[in-house]
Amino acid sequence: MEEMHQVAIAAKDPAIGRQFSSQVSILSAMELIWNLCEILFIEVAPAGALLLHLLDWVRLHVCEVDSLLADVLGSENPSKHDSFWKLVTILVLQGRLDEARQMLSKEADASPSSAGMCRILGDLMRTMPVLSPGNTQTLTELELKWQHWHEECERHLQDSTFAASPHLESLCKIMLGDEAALLEQKELLNNWYHFLVTRLLYSHPTVKPIDLHLYAQSSLDLFLGGESSPEPLDNILLAAFEFDIHQVIKECSIALSNWWFVAHLTDLLDHCKLLQSHNLYFGSNMREFLLLEYASGLFAHHSLWQLGVDYFDYCPELGRVSLELHIERIPLSTEQKALKVLRICEQRQMTEQVRSICKILAMNAVRNNRLGSALSWSIRAKDAAFATLVSDRFLKDYCERGSFSDLDLIDNLGPAMMLSDRLTFLGKYREFHRFYGEKRLTDAASLLLSLMTSQIAPRSFWVILLIDALPLLEEKEVVFSAEQTYELMRCLEDFASRRPVWREPGVQRIQEDVENTKLEMLRLALARNLGRAIIKEGSLEGS
Amino acid sequence: MQGQAIQADFKQDSLHDAQMDYYGTRLATCSSDRSVKIFDVRNGGQILIADLRGHEGPVWQVAWAHPMYGNILASCSYDRKVIIWKEENGTWEKTHEHTGHDSSVNSVCWAPHDYGLILACGSSDGAISLLTYTGEGQWEVKKINNAHTIGCNAVSWAPAVVPGSLIDQPSGQKPNYIKKFASGGCDNLIKLWKEEEDGQWKEEQKLEAHSDWVRDVAWAPSIGLPTSTIASCSQDGRVFIWTCDDTSGNTWSPKLLHKFNDVVWHVSWSITANILAVSGGDNKVTLWKESVDGQWVCISDVNKGQGSVSASVTEGQQNEQ
Repeated sequence: MEEMHQVAIAAKDPAIGRQFSSQVSILSAMELIWNLCEILFIEVAPAGALLLHLLDWVRLHVCEVDSLLADVLGSENPSKHDSFWKLVTILVLQGRLDEARQMLSKEADASPSSAGMCRILGDLMRTMPVLSPGNTQTLTELELKWQHWHEECERHLQDSTFAASPHLESLCKIMLGDEAALLEQKELLNNWYHFLVTRLLYSHPTVKPIDLHLYAQSSLDLFLGGESSPEPLDNILLAAFEFDIHQVIKECSIALSNWWFVAHLTDLLDHCKLLQSHNLYFGSNMREFLLLEYASGLFAHHSLWQLGVDYFDYCPELGRVSLELHIERIPLSTEQKALKVLRICEQRQMTEQVRSICKILAMNAVRNNRLGSALSWSIRAKDAAFATLVSDRFLKDYCERGSFSDLDLIDNLGPAMMLSDRLTFLGKYREFHRFYGEKRLTDAASLLLSLMTSQIAPRSFWVILLIDALPLLEEKEVVFSAEQTYELMRCLEDFASRRPVWREPGVQRIQEDVENTKLEMLRLALARNLGRAIIKEGSLEGS
Repeated sequence: MQGQAIQADFKQDSLHDAQMDYYGTRLATCSSDRSVKIFDVRNGGQILIADLRGHEGPVWQVAWAHPMYGNILASCSYDRKVIIWKEENGTWEKTHEHTGHDSSVNSVCWAPHDYGLILACGSSDGAISLLTYTGEGQWEVKKINNAHTIGCNAVSWAPAVVPGSLIDQPSGQKPNYIKKFASGGCDNLIKLWKEEEDGQWKEEQKLEAHSDWVRDVAWAPSIGLPTSTIASCSQDGRVFIWTCDDTSGNTWSPKLLHKFNDVVWHVSWSITANILAVSGGDNKVTLWKESVDGQWVCISDVNKGQGSVSASVTEGQQNEQ
């Protein structure tokens, strides 16, 4: 908040400066409300200690005093400073009597004529009874002492001890809790709650929490004096003084433009078991209701949605469902974002959402021709149908270009291969290529054969498989056994008999011719291999 | 709540529908000038991405399909056609045209993605047709004739509910969903339809409360509670919220949200079904929320634009409140 304050002052553009200033004022208002709620609801300060807390509260939120103090003290002749009396008055209003006394002693040094009066007033200040923490006196004792002190001040005033100095006289009146005198200092007090606290300090220091709201209301009325009407902030503070938690939450919800403050305040109060929960139809209780509202709002932001996830986690009743509905709607602009979202879903076992998101990403990848990516997404989604689609695309690409894209992915499929038949075929076919590349010819041969006989190869691919057998058949050593050769021949005839008859002339005829030639070559190679295999098997026993 | 105004030049014609896509990044609009326009509305901007022409009459409604099927938009028009547009390589093209109706098609709605790619269309000829994508650019059509006498004005699908089973279905096997949708018509009725085991659609329920044509129905998204909720609005100025508490889905009780002074054209739910947007002839879009004691309270209204506001506003994402 400090930073924003600095920025507000430094801003060159007045509009931005105003914007920052308004932000600062909103934040400080929120801090004000929060601290008051802490004092009244959470610490539940009893009479006596209550006032001390309230004094702290006021001192915390009025910061000009310190700078003014430094200013005046730093000057050569403090007591002759313009703002000297202003400073002393503020110190008295804030109950900082020790510092006020120090100031008075400076005045006493500077002008001997008023030294006597200053000393008396200083004594009065020194002797004011306060409840200090750790003090063993009871409230009644304090009251009694305070009463005596009050009467002493009264006497001095009656005796016109301070008549010579109007400043000192008004200070004395303030210390007596004289309302008129206090109201004269409206400008220094700046707001009605300061007025309230000062008034309590000097007239009812042992105020009980339940009586607080009476004084609060009258302070507000006196301070405003019928000139202006209470602002939202005033209403909120009044509700707090009345210990009406629900009213505070309600007023805050109305006044503030987003749910951040209210959600957190309610959460805190709920944890302190202060909220009697209504049972709402939506959101099960107020805390959850507000947290859900806040988290939903976060999801509209491009990066704060991650915070929203955590908030939903803390909503036991409807958090999970709300998260499921919201998380699918996050625009997945980059892969990293998608991975983040998926990780979140997987951590919470939201399998439906994982499947749905992976499908979307896979679809996207296919449209952009990134087949490897599409395949990995469909595997992650455990989507068999899509995996088949992508595998088909791969095979089609291979038919057209003679090579595979994304070899790494296909090579390392592992058990994921089992997701779909087509995918298994793709993986195994690639394995066949590898075997061939590594010259493990017999393995390659048996794999090729099993691919053809196991029926997982798509029809369109058979011709390629058969052609792939050619180099193996042409090898110097016999790779296919006689048994295997018979199988191959059967497959070939199977394929040839079931080939569709081309009806149109032209290009297809040429293709058909090419294919026929290939099949002829294949038949020749098979026959030759069969011969060699029979001989080999016949001559060497059991190989 | 904050809103963002989209300025678009529609000349003298009225804008009939505006729908945000799944992620809230794009807005599709359709109007009497027969065009369907798509805007990119990220970061508060608006850039016209596409102007789709293909209809020969005013276009009444648009609907985005789930992104897992790609970028698909359906539109329906007075010219009795339903056109399905698809984005391919950055350009939008017509991918299918359905001409099976005898008069104006008033409403289109995509089914939950779990059912596949299915589009329901309601028409002034009283029939509702269901287009199912079967692959390779083929669409299968099922028609429910005489769904509403005089005409059907709105269709809305129920959210997909996995029937009872807690075991994870093995991949590739589709679980047996019970598909349901609601329709509203000129017979002042709202009808709930259910798909039987044989694939035929049967009328399951008739909801009666309106005294004039039902203009829109919207089935609320499921938030995990056993209740189902439907919102309906009508020419008679009333908006009803129907709730069904038991899981068998048999007793629906209406609650009057509000009686407006003019016809109410559209109702639409936010993602988590806690806010209902209502737009009507009184030039206002209002947002409603259910309060603690079960009463519906108006939480905001947007008073913009001249002429009757008949655009429906769907909240793809809730704006910062």
